[in-house]
Amino acid sequence: MKKKILGFVVLVMAFSLLFSNSLGVMAQEPQEGGDLRIAIGADPESLDPLYAQSSPAAMVMVHMMETLFEMTPDGDIVPLLAEDYDVSDDGLVYDLYLREGVEFHDGEPFNAEAVKFNLERLLDQGAVYSFLIDAITEIEVIDEYTIRIATDEPFAPILAHLSHDFISMISPAAIDADDPSQDAGENIVGTGPFKMDGWNRGEAVLMTRNDDYWGDNAYVDTFSVLIVPEESTRVVMLETGEAHAIMNVPARDVSRLEENPDLTVENVPSLRTLYVGLNNHREPFDDVRVRKAMNYAVDSEAIVEHIIDGAGRPSDAPISPDIFGYSGQEIYQHNPDRARELLAEAGYEDGLEVEFYYPVGRYPMDQTISQAIQSQLADVGIDANMTTMEWATYLEVVGGNEPEDVEHDMYFLGWGTVTGDADYGLYALFHSDEWAPYGNNWHFGDHEGVDELLHEARITPDPDIRQDLYAEAIELIWDDAPWIFLHSISQLNGVRNEVAGLIHHPREHIEAKRAYFIND
Amino acid sequence: MSSYILRRMVLLVPVLIGVAIIVFGMVRLLPGDPAVAMAGVHATPEYIAQVRANLGLDEPIHVQFGVFIRRLIRGDLGISTRTNRPAVVEIWPRFLNTLSLTFISLIIASFFGILVGVISATRPYSLLDNVTMVFSLFGVAAPVFWLGLILMLIFSVRLGWLPSSGMGTPQHFVLPAVTLAAHSTALIARMTRSSMLEVLNMDYIVTARSKGLMERVVVVKHALRNALIPIVTILGLRFGMLLGGAVLTETVFSWPGVGRLMVDSILARDYPVVQGSVLLLALLFVLINLFVDILYAFLDPQIQYG
Repeated sequence: MKKKILGFVVLVMAFSLLFSNSLGVMAQEPQEGGDLRIAIGADPESLDPLYAQSSPAAMVMVHMMETLFEMTPDGDIVPLLAEDYDVSDDGLVYDLYLREGVEFHDGEPFNAEAVKFNLERLLDQGAVYSFLIDAITEIEVIDEYTIRIATDEPFAPILAHLSHDFISMISPAAIDADDPSQDAGENIVGTGPFKMDGWNRGEAVLMTRNDDYWGDNAYVDTFSVLIVPEESTRVVMLETGEAHAIMNVPARDVSRLEENPDLTVENVPSLRTLYVGLNNHREPFDDVRVRKAMNYAVDSEAIVEHIIDGAGRPSDAPISPDIFGYSGQEIYQHNPDRARELLAEAGYEDGLEVEFYYPVGRYPMDQTISQAIQSQLADVGIDANMTTMEWATYLEVVGGNEPEDVEHDMYFLGWGTVTGDADYGLYALFHSDEWAPYGNNWHFGDHEGVDELLHEARITPDPDIRQDLYAEAIELIWDDAPWIFLHSISQLNGVRNEVAGLIHHPREHIEAKRAYFIND
Repeated sequence: MSSYILRRMVLLVPVLIGVAIIVFGMVRLLPGDPAVAMAGVHATPEYIAQVRANLGLDEPIHVQFGVFIRRLIRGDLGISTRTNRPAVVEIWPRFLNTLSLTFISLIIASFFGILVGVISATRPYSLLDNVTMVFSLFGVAAPVFWLGLILMLIFSVRLGWLPSSGMGTPQHFVLPAVTLAAHSTALIARMTRSSMLEVLNMDYIVTARSKGLMERVVVVKHALRNALIPIVTILGLRFGMLLGGAVLTETVFSWPGVGRLMVDSILARDYPVVQGSVLLLALLFVLINLFVDILYAFLDPQIQYG
């Protein structure tokens, strides 16, 4: 079952890029040169795939390191360091054919041995994200440029998982052989279009162009990622030109920035969906009528429009649209009368009282959104007692307890389907084997028929069949209303107009691989 | 004198042990599990348990404390749970950044504070005095966050004279140092003014003036020297306050200092870094107090140490 489709997809994409020009500027020949600076909000904890775990880290890493497959901004999985692959008929064995002639920044060859070394290091040393590839039970070098990976059970999302930024390939020579758990993030040696030039913690990561890059070289000479935690400061830096692009523009500044002819604000969908989980395991949310009433009571469209100023998309599925396997459902329109009816049917005509936990400062406007939800619930006779706590505590309290021990009835949370594959967004959150505290099904959902569909989709290699299975699962989940479905969030990135070619990726990073300066 | 200094140095040890116990206890009293914070939302429980074991957090609390103290004696602050690097390596460069910012702020604050205070005191209730005191009231009252952003808007965005944030060149120091110094400058100015006013009414000043000394000599040599004791006290205290107060300034101006590191570390429950930073700041604080005490003797020979 040879897959040549991926290569075709790349061709189509390349052509569509050629004939489109997102800035609407007269097509201009990109020029080499310049020092590009992008400001982000937090310092990476590490740049070693073994320890990295946050999107700021990924944002830096993708410029210096590469993965076997890559996810395009549209959510397609396409080859990167792997050129092609075969999968056995039983879906257990994948042969990956690697790109030839690729070198790491230190001159070491990129080959099957290097891939084996990297995958084994992540698995053996217990990388934070090793769960993405721990289905792999066998890694075998077939020849210089062919590597075979095998799983005990068919695991269809494997290519999406290999595309994850934290499954990047780094030079085996840069790792201390005696102590492979040593953090190599200080001096990263990858295959990417930029080389590491320095990292001043809390200040900036500096990179220079890799002139020996296997693909098309980057245009800019140097690229710096500046660490600027205060969002107002980032906006100031964009206005003064100290930064050419910034991440996470505060919604309140958007209209002001849009009046500035030198700047553009990009509204980029992300893979993160926000929701309020309802404790399906006990009263009152063990009754689907009550859960539906909650969805009718809360006006997700108004929240997106008025609270986050359009920087999001009201949910019509438990995952966001850029994810493979997404299929849109009919949104629960705001309808307080219907909500009151359903509550009365369920025996709560006199209203009810619930415990609502929410975080502050983790997601855009999370506190205001929670308060809006509280007042919309009050409107249909639901009295929500609000409890908040700081993030680390919140995670432990909301997700760290057995169903008998939880005190909350509902909790505000978000989930980023970082692999871009519905398996990651649905299996972890809705399969009944994944109940807290062992998994991420923190609402204790056990949705009829869903477990089987999610399992089937996980072991079926054919993408079309998987798509159908997820469509069916999403329909069942949607109808069972285990959450209050809120919205998938967009990131607002600010860009100065003298820079073109930046890619705003739904995995919450800006890519400068093909960025260039426009000369007036 | 030297025996006094020695005794004070020895007394530092129990103070620092006290600080170590309090800091150790405090971070562990915080709810929230560092293993969960480190492993993130997507982690499996097995992975969290493994992280907990790696961090030694599955041990009873007294065992953890024993390990902490034994390491501390060897000068080992442990490994940062957030970055997997030694806590010392994390803290030290950040600490130096904060120290340089604080030091420059202190110089700005003491120079302008004393200057303004002396000028005000020599012309009490004049227009100049009133204007400077209004400004110092403003300096005391303006929140650091707001002041920093306003200065940034004026000098970076509008005028384009100074970089808005980050560090590197001497120009980078100007805005954060001025912002950080504002509160202390105002406080020192007010302190100097009242202290000077008190001294200027003393008989020996009248004598000095009646001897026909130049007013400048009277003010600087006779009055200021004697007015300095409370000012030095406040300077010493301010240094500690500036170190702590740098958190907000560091955040506004993206200054990679120890204040921001501590906030990040507290949020990530990075015990070793939090403990190490607090200990280091506490050590510096008591050393400065000691230094101030010693300085008294030089300023006022009447102060004796037994």
